Amino acid sequence: MAKYSERAPTMANPVFRGISYGVAAMLLSVVHVVFLRFIAVGSITPDLMLILVVWVALIEGQFTGTIAGFACGLLFDAISGDVIGTNALAKTIAGFVAGYFFKPGFGIAIIGNYRFLLIVTLAGLIHNLLYFTFYVRPMQVGFFEFVLTYGIATTLYTTVVAVFPMLVVNRR
Amino acid sequence: MRRVIEFVVRFKNYITLCSLVVMSFAFMSVGSLSQLGGFRAVIVGSIGWIQSLFAWVPNPVALKSENTALRELNLQLSIESSRYRQAMVENGTLRNMLLLPTYTDDKLIAADVVGKTNTELRNYATINRGHDDGIKEGQAVVTDAGLVGTVIGTSAHYAILQILLNRDVRISARVYRSNVDGILTWEGEQFLSLKNVPRTYDVKVGDLVVTSNYSISYPTNVVIGRVSNVSDESNSLFRKITVTPSVNFSTMDQVFVIDKLPNKERVHLEDSITHRQLQKAMSR
Repeated sequence: MAKYSERAPTMANPVFRGISYGVAAMLLSVVHVVFLRFIAVGSITPDLMLILVVWVALIEGQFTGTIAGFACGLLFDAISGDVIGTNALAKTIAGFVAGYFFKPGFGIAIIGNYRFLLIVTLAGLIHNLLYFTFYVRPMQVGFFEFVLTYGIATTLYTTVVAVFPMLVVNRR
Repeated sequence: MRRVIEFVVRFKNYITLCSLVVMSFAFMSVGSLSQLGGFRAVIVGSIGWIQSLFAWVPNPVALKSENTALRELNLQLSIESSRYRQAMVENGTLRNMLLLPTYTDDKLIAADVVGKTNTELRNYATINRGHDDGIKEGQAVVTDAGLVGTVIGTSAHYAILQILLNRDVRISARVYRSNVDGILTWEGEQFLSLKNVPRTYDVKVGDLVVTSNYSISYPTNVVIGRVSNVSDESNSLFRKITVTPSVNFSTMDQVFVIDKLPNKERVHLEDSITHRQLQKAMSR
């Protein structure tokens, strides 16, 4: 972490970090609405915003991670046209859970490690379980069948995509 | 006071979590994006603008799929074309015999699909026509293949379509061959499900499914798809019917919005009757 701060001193400023997270969330939103259909497998796509939430939770802690989850979830709900609040709820709790793995000064070390993938998987599973609870409720399909088909597939795809930030941080 | 502050500081994570969860539920109770008034128009406009900027980017997977679909459609159309010519002659003769009034086709507004949101099973499409072009919420959208969905939100130059593969879609549909009615819903993947069809009713694989005349939201006899599977569940009085939509939603790039809104008089009448019956039932 010390080495990382030396290389990028501006990132030590919490305000600058907050702005950069906001910009990252906006960019991911654009990527989500424009480019994600190109890598969609069936209707399964990775949840880039969840990766950002886990990242924030591991770098900034549980408190900020929870708030970031809520903010990213609201943004996601707005751009995806779904019921406002469903993603906000799921990502808030995902950010809170990811925050349990926060260790001051070791955030970058965790992200550059396979543990990041495990945390993304765990947060993704909890996120999808919660999200599909609200999603499947009005439909006449089996909840577990739906979660097994889409929830786990989305989580796995998100975990695969999370390998890229892990490798980038790892190489640094 | 100090104790309170200490308590808040100590449990700030849990307090924040609880507050945000409560706020999320509050947002959910507000409802879907389509119920958020002016906010919706801003989002629709912004998404449409961003998607139109990148609409030129080709999707090789979709192109391949579209190519295959077009070949199949071409073959199908050439067969149907000869049938159609024959039917036209027959139809003209029968109309003359019965003195039926000729029906007028509704005006169609052509639009390009500039974006699709099919992530996490929320299937919407954005088109480059808005309320300035005469697009209104509630209008049905079709392609040459069949029914696409309805318009659920508009801005000046863009509109968002709720396509059939969406959990909120309920269509009053009919099996064209046997006139069997049912309710069409989406239950995941690329298929639709025709509900409320008793086991004794005649439905076969390959049957054409069209919009029913009971439907308020959609015009009658618009092709939806074909029955791809029929099975009887052991503990149910109804059949389990799977319908494959005629429209290939992954390759759809041009659509037509039917410039016709549900009949207000009919909607008003049906709503008032339902309301009256509900009041009667409650007073009992």
